[in-house]
Amino acid sequence: MNKKAGPMFYVFLALFVFLVMFPFLWVLASSIKPVAELFGDRAFIPFTDNMTLENYESVFVNYPFLKYLWNSLVVSTITTVYAVLVASFAAYAIARLNFKGKTVILGLVLSVSMFPQIATISPIYIVLKNLGLTNSYLGLIIPYTTFTLPLSIWLLVTFFRKIPFDLEEAAKIDGASLMQTYWRVILPLALPGIFTTAILVFISAWNEFLFALTINTDDEFKTVPVGIAMFEGQFTIPWGEVTAATVIVTVPLVIMVLLFQRRIVSGLTSGAVKE
Amino acid sequence: MKPDLMPNNQKPIAPKTNSQKKKKRSDRSVGYMLIAPSLILILIIAIWPVFQSFYYSMFDLRLNNPAKSEAHISYKVNLQTYLDNYPFLISTLEDEVDTASGNTKTELETIKANLEKVDAELQKDNEIKSKYDQVDEKLTVMEPISEELAVSDLDKEIALDLEKAVNDSTDSIRGLKDELKNSEDLIGLSSSLEDAVITPNFIGLKHYKENLTDSRMWKAIQNTTVFTLISVFAELVIGLAIALLINKAFFGRGLVRATILIPWAIPTAVSAFMWKYLYDGQNGIVAKAFADIGLFDQMTDMLTTSTGAMFAVIFADVWKTTPYMALLLLAGLQTIPSSLYEAAAIDGASKWKQFLKITLPLLKSSILVALLFRTLDAFRVFDLIYVLTGGGPANSTETISILAYKVMFAQTNFGEGSALSVIVFVCVAIISMIYIKFLGRDLLNDK
Repeated sequence: MNKKAGPMFYVFLALFVFLVMFPFLWVLASSIKPVAELFGDRAFIPFTDNMTLENYESVFVNYPFLKYLWNSLVVSTITTVYAVLVASFAAYAIARLNFKGKTVILGLVLSVSMFPQIATISPIYIVLKNLGLTNSYLGLIIPYTTFTLPLSIWLLVTFFRKIPFDLEEAAKIDGASLMQTYWRVILPLALPGIFTTAILVFISAWNEFLFALTINTDDEFKTVPVGIAMFEGQFTIPWGEVTAATVIVTVPLVIMVLLFQRRIVSGLTSGAVKE
Repeated sequence: MKPDLMPNNQKPIAPKTNSQKKKKRSDRSVGYMLIAPSLILILIIAIWPVFQSFYYSMFDLRLNNPAKSEAHISYKVNLQTYLDNYPFLISTLEDEVDTASGNTKTELETIKANLEKVDAELQKDNEIKSKYDQVDEKLTVMEPISEELAVSDLDKEIALDLEKAVNDSTDSIRGLKDELKNSEDLIGLSSSLEDAVITPNFIGLKHYKENLTDSRMWKAIQNTTVFTLISVFAELVIGLAIALLINKAFFGRGLVRATILIPWAIPTAVSAFMWKYLYDGQNGIVAKAFADIGLFDQMTDMLTTSTGAMFAVIFADVWKTTPYMALLLLAGLQTIPSSLYEAAAIDGASKWKQFLKITLPLLKSSILVALLFRTLDAFRVFDLIYVLTGGGPANSTETISILAYKVMFAQTNFGEGSALSVIVFVCVAIISMIYIKFLGRDLLNDK
């Protein structure tokens, strides 16, 4: 296959990048326009002479947007830490130890990742409601950790398998217990894999919508995706605020993606490709 | 390189055979112990709910109706409701009997006698009798009553007798309305007493029968299928094209990769709202562009006509997930050794032939895995459509998940909604089985 890139290739590449990024660029341009210029003739002109940050101000003043961000951050962070911790135990056992039923358990875990969440929502909602956990952080953290476990276990098993067995044997000969081997030998070597898993779990918890929509209906506990989706007024949609909020949510993700793209790609493609 | 681990803690090495046996046994128990937390979570919060959904789907379960807010298999009596009304009904009836005359008097006496007869029947059961007295006592001193104490199982016959006596009493009192002093009170007490009997709301597979003959359900299945087939096919073709094109060394690879990841990384609900803005009939730039090139007659058609809305939803989904598809396929492409292509080129195979004979066969498992994930995701689609169109206009983009959600949470009909969600589950299970059959044991392969 032709591995050299010609000038036509770069033209195509630029076009592709522009098309993918266009919605963001347009939303960014809209978010700094005064509200009046979002409608009528000026709506289709990307630039404005009256640049303003009033939409951004309004997002924080007229909506509890900071609260949404905080809720999302708390829920996603705790979910990530807990899911990765629990998953790393299971993944270690599956990758390193020999016991009966290992493949069956892995199969079971993987099949859970194919479950449609809508099929679990009514019992989970009723149980959480009876426990008084609707409109609480825990009400989201419990389902989130469970539904991110399959992905975490699968990724960590792949990473753990790459660590050479000799190291463990050596540790054992030196008299280290299983826990010591895990904490002192395996974990430090698996850190890059754990970090990758953590990023993916964090993103999926941050983006989750269905559980957040049904379980936390109170403004006090809404997460960002639900918060933005509910910006819609009764008669009109506040486009200025919507575009500003979209930019606020997107920018940190763009930075994260730029920083960790290698890890994210390795996480997304591990398991999908046999090496 | 040996890590320096607790040198003081060394244990003497046991004879080999013994230690191996021991290792195997300890491996097993430690293995189960390490897996337990994950497994318990998954069993309780992912697998149990699916069975529970199936269980709920066989009941007429409505969260906004107190008598149907739980699944009941057997007849029950709510003694709190019963004792809150029964004694007052009897004493008010007595008052009426004292002042009434002729036919009215006899009729009232019959009602009263009937009710008292069932009450006596009710108190014959020892368990009910003890609860009966406790509840009565707590009601007089106005203490709170737990649900466990208030609700008691009831024989079907007594329950039916009770129900009949109370219904008859309400009907007769209604009939005598004009002859009575306190007709309003009596009717109120008697009809409240009706709520004391909890009838089983088990309805078997009726929800499924209704759903499977409901045109709205089939329309939702059809919408979901159309959405899934078109979007996944478009994503595969475009994703493969992009993967093939960028599978080479070029300047700015990292930047392109980051660009690709951004649509994937932002919350679907947020990107859906963003597209709603771009598709808007008044100020949406994408709607204007599509109208200008003649794809639609008017800008407003995009979200107000059924084909326009379906196109809008699919387009937004393709934008968001094609990059992800391209990444998965690119990773697969990079595992194909370039020597294969070189050899094919020497043998005079054309580019197209190389693609058909080398790329596609070797990419098969990557494509199937990517297709599996994407098909399941597309079939379960919720966020995108919920935010972008809400299932409209006129249910033309209502998918099966959206329908199940609406029935459950907008109509608070949990029984029927659960039946719908079980249908989603069955569909997803069938799709996965078909794919896994194609993939063979590749996916679960241990090594």
